[in-house]
Amino acid sequence: MSDCQGLGDCDDARMQRIYEYLDGALTHKDIAEIKDHLDSCPECLEQYDLECVIRVMVKRSCTEAAPENLKNSILDRIHSIRTVEA
Amino acid sequence: MSTMDPAVTAMHEVAGNDATPTPTPDASAAAALETEVDGKPLDVSTESAEERRARFERDAMQYVDQLYSAAMRMARNPSDAEDLVQEAYTKAFSAFHQYKPGTNLKAWLYRILTNTYINLYRKRQREPLQSNSDTIEDWQLARAESHTSSGLRSAEAEALDHLPDSDVKRALQSIPEEFRLAVYFADVEGFAYKEISDIMNTPIGTVMSRLHRGRKMLRDMLADYAAERGFRAATESTSAADSNKQENRK
Repeated sequence: MSDCQGLGDCDDARMQRIYEYLDGALTHKDIAEIKDHLDSCPECLEQYDLECVIRVMVKRSCTEAAPENLKNSILDRIHSIRTVEA
Repeated sequence: MSTMDPAVTAMHEVAGNDATPTPTPDASAAAALETEVDGKPLDVSTESAEERRARFERDAMQYVDQLYSAAMRMARNPSDAEDLVQEAYTKAFSAFHQYKPGTNLKAWLYRILTNTYINLYRKRQREPLQSNSDTIEDWQLARAESHTSSGLRSAEAEALDHLPDSDVKRALQSIPEEFRLAVYFADVEGFAYKEISDIMNTPIGTVMSRLHRGRKMLRDMLADYAAERGFRAATESTSAADSNKQENRK
């Protein structure tokens, strides 16, 4: 269990702050605070790094191009809808 | 869960057609383009059906790849994901007169995709809904809790990074749907809490707790996969109990 009190007094609170920081959900004042804290707390920095790595992995792995024909199928359907309405 | 700072909430008041948008610089650039047609201000009320179709093609069709990626996290196979995206786009086009130009079109499309999935598609799936099972959720949470934060070292981050894309997809797919989608919307699409709340039709507090729990589950899964593949971090001390657990899982 962590001795770090800088981002809350339990691991959950600490991770929540790190998530909010990464999610861009903090105010400028909070951002300055967490940056200062990460500079001085290797344990929180490690957690932060790990979250960054996971995010990059997820983004890299879960970005797929749609099949070639999908766009055309959608356009075909949209045009058929328009014909009905007109 | 702490209440969000009002300033932060205001910062994220982007999605939704009824809310006053305060777009980010990128969004506002896109919004400015959306409210013009051939350099002239757009007037939806006098727009012909043909003009609206052209505007839909211009503004909405650019998100097909992104919606397909999201649909893959929902439908689980390419063919169903295609059907889902096609259905969502058809609905979006039929409802496009309700979309207010200059507001968050991408979030609007994602909301339609998510609703299409929940209301229509998911009912047809033959497999049971894992997300509705409290048992699975509790089990996975219990596993997530069993890892203390100090159990994952920087070297472990390195180990995770060596995992193939297929493992990352498998890990994400294995966490319950509402957690999975929240994580996907935040980490891949970069949607703000307020936008995810609009897309998933849940309060911001729920979004934040889904993200928190979902990320813990994902992280735990990835650590397990890394261990199974022998990418165990050199500096990580592993208890005998943990080793046994890994063995038993095989």
